[in-house]
Amino acid sequence: MIELLMRILVYGATLSGIYALIASGFTLIFGVSRIMNFAHGAFFILGAYFGIALIHGIGLNPYLSTIISILMVGLLAAAMYKSIISPVREHEVMVIIVTLAFALIVEQVILLTFGEHGISFPSVIEGVVIVGTVLIPSMRLFVLAVAIIALIMLWTFIGKTRLGKEITAASQDAEAAMLIGLDVGRLLIVTVFISAILAALGGVLYAQVYAANPFIILKSLIFAFAIVILGGLGSVKGSIIASFIVGYILTAMIVLYGARWSELVALLIIIAILVLRPAGLLGAKEL
Amino acid sequence: MSKRKISRREYLKYAAAGVIVAAGAIGGYAAWQSTRKPLEKDEIIIGVLAPMATRQGSVQRDAAALAIEEINAAGGILGVPVKMVVGDDKLDPDAAVSEFRRLVTVENADVLTGGYSSGIMAATMEPMAELKTVFLADASSPAHPAKVAEDYEKYKYWFRITQNNGASFAFDMADMIDMLREKGVPVDKIYIIRDEHVWADDVEKFFNPLLTERNVEVVKNVKIPRGYTEYEPLIIEAHDLGAQVILPIVALSGTGDVLAKHWATLKLPVLLAGHDLAALDLGFWEKTEGACNYYIFIADGGVVQTAPPTAMCANFIENYKYKYGNPPEAHQGYGAYDAVYLYKMVIEEATKAGEANPLDSDTVVKYLEKTATLENPVELTRNIAFYPPGDENKWDHDLAWGDKYVRNLISEWIDGKWYEIWPEDKANAELKLPPWFK
Repeated sequence: MIELLMRILVYGATLSGIYALIASGFTLIFGVSRIMNFAHGAFFILGAYFGIALIHGIGLNPYLSTIISILMVGLLAAAMYKSIISPVREHEVMVIIVTLAFALIVEQVILLTFGEHGISFPSVIEGVVIVGTVLIPSMRLFVLAVAIIALIMLWTFIGKTRLGKEITAASQDAEAAMLIGLDVGRLLIVTVFISAILAALGGVLYAQVYAANPFIILKSLIFAFAIVILGGLGSVKGSIIASFIVGYILTAMIVLYGARWSELVALLIIIAILVLRPAGLLGAKEL
Repeated sequence: MSKRKISRREYLKYAAAGVIVAAGAIGGYAAWQSTRKPLEKDEIIIGVLAPMATRQGSVQRDAAALAIEEINAAGGILGVPVKMVVGDDKLDPDAAVSEFRRLVTVENADVLTGGYSSGIMAATMEPMAELKTVFLADASSPAHPAKVAEDYEKYKYWFRITQNNGASFAFDMADMIDMLREKGVPVDKIYIIRDEHVWADDVEKFFNPLLTERNVEVVKNVKIPRGYTEYEPLIIEAHDLGAQVILPIVALSGTGDVLAKHWATLKLPVLLAGHDLAALDLGFWEKTEGACNYYIFIADGGVVQTAPPTAMCANFIENYKYKYGNPPEAHQGYGAYDAVYLYKMVIEEATKAGEANPLDSDTVVKYLEKTATLENPVELTRNIAFYPPGDENKWDHDLAWGDKYVRNLISEWIDGKWYEIWPEDKANAELKLPPWFK
């Protein structure tokens, strides 16, 4: 029994950490701009594909390719915001349509370029660690550590830096932020950049443990969306908590009851929680 | 009005002139007949309908194009040039149905080849029946030949040429267990990971009795949804339950690469051997960063590219490499190439037999049934034969399974290459067990 619990603890933590990276970025954009960015799943997997292309195309090492690929995704996201979201920002439905269209275009481009089957991101760490009698791939522990460090950095950035505080101010009241002289437009671009970087990092880590494939775009978007709703739209803290809830439900279902219904049950539990707490775990507007 | 009498001399003159004109006409007709093509067409049109964004679709287009190019270079079919028209089913049944109609009614395709997804195949069999167009098809569901069996007149235009009925994987996987036992691997407990889909049910229907016959216990049977990736807990569970083999029956989950990666990461003493569509990819080694080493799997379609079963297959692979820069990207290529050559053969047979319209679909069906038989399979890139109408398993017009025909070969990824390891007489490598398997 202890072995089973250990397995759920470790395997659930890896999945949760990756979910937390993508969901926190998704909710960050919503918190600041009230934009539902349906292209977020594309940023998630583009991080992995850019990295794989840099490794196989020009022979970069996995560490350097990770840094360059997530920066590339961040810049792409900022450019996308400026060119196609910003002009229609006031129309919520239009924002959903253009971001969803962008995600579908990315999916098709990946399909045509890399094919429909998964591609692995070369693992930076190999082997397994044995804790008691539980076998844990070292890569899982590495991913968990990187995800936690990235989330702590995000937390520190939002809470401790001037730019982070300005983003918080803009998320609480954009008009008031403008009145006190903050450049909300610039803050939005910075927020989109940071969100995309978090998603791309999640994608790179995901492709190290699993593999990148174009259909992850939609799946990751669905899970990110569900987690963000569960955590409370706009709440980074809520999203992180919700990520761990969802990650652990999924892993516990697989370990205890089998893989068949794991994702379905996880989504049903999310719905059940939302029936009890319609605003999500931590409600809106709290970064 | 007075009647003028024709004299005998005049009568003979006119009669002689008439005979000369008639003889000229007959001679002219005979001369025209001798130069006329036996088929009343300026071109024969072959349609390829498949999901073109996938390698399984594009390879069919490219392989059919190569076959058509070769046939045209050799004078076409009975002197008539062959043209290809292409439709993209986009893995969508609505698109597939409308593309089928377009290819037949707008592009005037005489015959179609292609397909990939079983669900889409079921949808396209309807316009096929309505338009009475022969379809030399891919996909693997037993539901397709069952339709032919249940309503022959309606669905007789369908023939599966690319790969065997999916249920036949059961026979090959049973052989795989026999082979492992023969090689000294004690297989008495297996852990099945399978798609949550009806096609895997069809395989299990045949597989379970074969496991019982062999006293093999299934320690757990795990159904996974599409896109499933959490394999590590399953692999650990398989090991804990004492399985010697994790046996995947997966295609639609689409994540065989992750399964191989997790299995290679954990390195537990349990083999990975079964059916996984993802492994049938020439790029699988690179995509898994070599994690697929020692992965034993069934190769659909009867060809492992490193061990071509016929001379024509070896030529096809070489010509394909020459034209496109790489070997056929998926086994569907062999089916499409064979489809074009088999169609040519059938048209020629029908013409030789004096059929009034050799291109008529009913005639083509008749000659397909007569030409590629269980008694006399046709050697193309594989040995093609179709089960006749009235087959006991309801596999009517399905590609015949077996050593004499086409079977799913047992193969393995070994040190970067995909080898055939069974049947022994055709194998080009020995089974190699992972070093961590004891």
